[in-house]
Amino acid sequence: MNYRMIRFILFQVMRIEGVLMLLPCLISIIYGDGEGAYFAGVAAFLIAAGFIGCKFLPKNQTINVKEGYVSTGLSWIVLSFFGCLPFWLSGEISSFTDAFFETVSGFTTTGASILSNVEELSHAALFWRSFTHWIGGMGVLVFLLALIPMSGGSNINLMRAESPGPSVGKLVPKMRYTAIILYVIYMVMTILEVVFLFCGGLNLFDSFCLAFGTAGTGGFAVRSDSFESYSIYIRWVVGIFMLLFGVNFNAYYFILMRQFKKAFSFEEVRVFVAIVALSTAAVFANIIPLYENGIMALTDAFFQVTSIVSTTGYCSADFDLWPTTSKFILCFLMFMGACAGSTGGGVKVSRLMILWKSVVKEVQSYIHPKIVKKVTLDKKALDNDVLKSTHVFLATYVGVFLASMLIVSLESRDLTTTFTAVLATLNNIGPGLSMVGATCNYGFLSFASKWTLCFDMLAGRLELFPILLLFAPSLYKK
Amino acid sequence: MSVFKTRPAGLKIIIVGAGKVGMTLVAQLSREGHDITIVDKDAAKISDITSTYDVMGCVGNGASYLTQVEAGVKDADLIIAVTESDELNLLCCTIAKQFSDCAAISRLRNPDYSRESKYLRDKLGLSMIINPDLEAAKVMARVIYLPAALEARSFAHGQALIVKIKIPEGNILDRMTIAELGAKITNDILICGVERDGNVVIPGGSFELCAGDVITIVATSKEQQSFLKSIGLVTNQVKNAMIIGGGRSAYYLSDILIKKGIGVKIIEQNRERCEKLNDLLPKAVIINGDGTNTELLLDEGIETTDAFIPLTGIDEQNSMLALHAKKISSAKLITKINRTGFIDIINSLDLGSVFYPMFITADMILAYVRARTAAPGSNIETVYHLFDARAEAITFKVTDESKVTGKPLKDLKIKDNTLISYIGHEGEAIIPTGNDVISKGDTVMVVTMHTGFDDIGDILE
Repeated sequence: MNYRMIRFILFQVMRIEGVLMLLPCLISIIYGDGEGAYFAGVAAFLIAAGFIGCKFLPKNQTINVKEGYVSTGLSWIVLSFFGCLPFWLSGEISSFTDAFFETVSGFTTTGASILSNVEELSHAALFWRSFTHWIGGMGVLVFLLALIPMSGGSNINLMRAESPGPSVGKLVPKMRYTAIILYVIYMVMTILEVVFLFCGGLNLFDSFCLAFGTAGTGGFAVRSDSFESYSIYIRWVVGIFMLLFGVNFNAYYFILMRQFKKAFSFEEVRVFVAIVALSTAAVFANIIPLYENGIMALTDAFFQVTSIVSTTGYCSADFDLWPTTSKFILCFLMFMGACAGSTGGGVKVSRLMILWKSVVKEVQSYIHPKIVKKVTLDKKALDNDVLKSTHVFLATYVGVFLASMLIVSLESRDLTTTFTAVLATLNNIGPGLSMVGATCNYGFLSFASKWTLCFDMLAGRLELFPILLLFAPSLYKK
Repeated sequence: MSVFKTRPAGLKIIIVGAGKVGMTLVAQLSREGHDITIVDKDAAKISDITSTYDVMGCVGNGASYLTQVEAGVKDADLIIAVTESDELNLLCCTIAKQFSDCAAISRLRNPDYSRESKYLRDKLGLSMIINPDLEAAKVMARVIYLPAALEARSFAHGQALIVKIKIPEGNILDRMTIAELGAKITNDILICGVERDGNVVIPGGSFELCAGDVITIVATSKEQQSFLKSIGLVTNQVKNAMIIGGGRSAYYLSDILIKKGIGVKIIEQNRERCEKLNDLLPKAVIINGDGTNTELLLDEGIETTDAFIPLTGIDEQNSMLALHAKKISSAKLITKINRTGFIDIINSLDLGSVFYPMFITADMILAYVRARTAAPGSNIETVYHLFDARAEAITFKVTDESKVTGKPLKDLKIKDNTLISYIGHEGEAIIPTGNDVISKGDTVMVVTMHTGFDDIGDILE
């Protein structure tokens, strides 16, 4: 294994995190709260360490699949470890486990919090919490690829390991330009949302934090009641943007290239939009008896559906109080998640489509034993490798899910809590149901459960294998 | 949003066919910063390439319109078709030309078409038609005329040659510095590269040559014969050649050799192919038999032949045959190797002149691409790879005044490991010294260890 290159990438990640951490320092200067000093200290350390570590560019810069997965897994752990230090050192979150949980939840764009009252946090800490969503949404290694020209083409393995979806490709021949294009689309959409929110009467700080949370499909709010005190306009803006960030970014690239036909013909995006529309209608019909006002019911139904399907996890209403049908629909959407190539989590619409089509194919093969039929997506036959990896992904996903549930179940909470705690973290959503529902938080869980859920969040964001690989004994054998 | 429109330096190139030549081109061109999309039917090959090189892959039939559109033919600068099939290559280029004003290069190997290649090129509007077997045959033939050389390439319309030789034990060049060579033997040749123990250097005046070095010299066509004679490297003219394997390259090579009056004997296993060869090459002696049978080789006179050229499709066989011939005869050996995976081992075997047809093809395409990217002031005529692609010899046509013109070479600040090795001035070939000057209209050859030069100005610090 190319240890030198992995080390080099880790130092690069540290350096980038250090530079990004200067932003909360700036916020702290603007608002004059003292916690900025801790951010400045950690940032200084990261930048210094990063610069020294990056001095030694390895001769062999090949990143094979293995190196790609390992450095991605380790990068995210390093990122979360250093990211949580300011919370812990400043004492704003007193326990290290809690601080780590909160940061992992941030970077993995989960948005599950252990804090009961976020308004107590300093501005710098609040900003950093939301900003981690933005960094984690598109991925820090993709950011690295956009910034630093690296030789050779093997660094696509970094993007493959970090970007979600059954098969990851480039938009343009050069890796670096692909990464730059993705980040430019991401930034422009984020800024658009900030403008819309700001026009809706939110202050600039809240606009930025909410936009970061939406763009990364994270879900950390800046108020304890999440969205319940915001206007209908704000809810619709955020709802629409959550939907937009759940769409495969390749579609936006084609729109920019004026290839509208291609952009709107993505099978996955069409199915995604159709599912959102159907779910919204179903939830709306289901919850209307609870509301006096139809518009409010529609707003909440749409907001909650987009929030869950994009795996953001903002709450405009306490959906724990909704009828079981609505709760089930939301649980299904949690499981499904957003499109591949978006910033959302979950199993991904395209994987479910592939699985569904595989089932149809299997059924057909019982009726016509000699039938030749290939599973297609976007009118193209899928490679057997993609099919195989999708099936293996689902099996692994179920395995990780059950194992995590077993550990969390040791706390003897009710089954809904146990189930949705794992569901909401493994799919990077945030709020679950019952004791981890919209109005609650994860603070009460035991030490073991929190670390298990941290693992789930990382595994869910990186689509299992980069994290699972770190636990493979054969990796460490020479 | 300008970031989407700014085109990074380099051309948009579509390569159809991920075979050996396709791979070599991807490796070379992506290193030189071009935007490359590789198209092939085989998804596994595409995924291999895209994980190794910074290029985009596209799975599909390269001649289909939809695949071409997906690969971005509409705003491509160049399409290169190097699939297995000639017909597919031509179709790829023809279709691409319908929708796009990109340039097109096609590989064409079948002798049926290659005779018409000029006509096809003009009628179909292609920029270049390459026949790797024919090009390889030309390069091999040149070594056969000049048997003392391991490799000989002509440039500047045949006025000068790059010749690679190995210094034998006890030769007068042993323990001689480059400066002494100029003083004692001749100033009309230039040593532009030395390979010793696997390392390549572009030597300075104080560099001492020693036996076993492989040196590359640049000389005018007239001078090189007398130079080789003066250092005692003379072998008799080749009068007859034995070729093992009757494939396409054997046909092209025999055709060239017979026209030059060299007797050719081809040993080929397949009876039908033998008959076909007999039709095509009535003057050649065609033997139907197993070329790896040593008895047969003895019967057919391997011990007395002047040149022995194994051209079977199998690298291992070619190498073994060359080693065998080296042991029992003093024939000039020419070995064709198709795969590049074991270059180091092949080099250590001392197989005489070794040729990699795909490098020859890649060189030609590279020269074309470099010329397309070049600044208007200078044009690239040829690019040759020396020492297995570790150094390049590039011929520029200087069409404008620039920083390099009008000054004695000794006053130019030239990059390390870069050498001006030839100046063609008004029809006269000059092997330059420090006092020579490059003028507008000259043809200049530069040997360099750097890659990606596309302008004569690139030689300056």
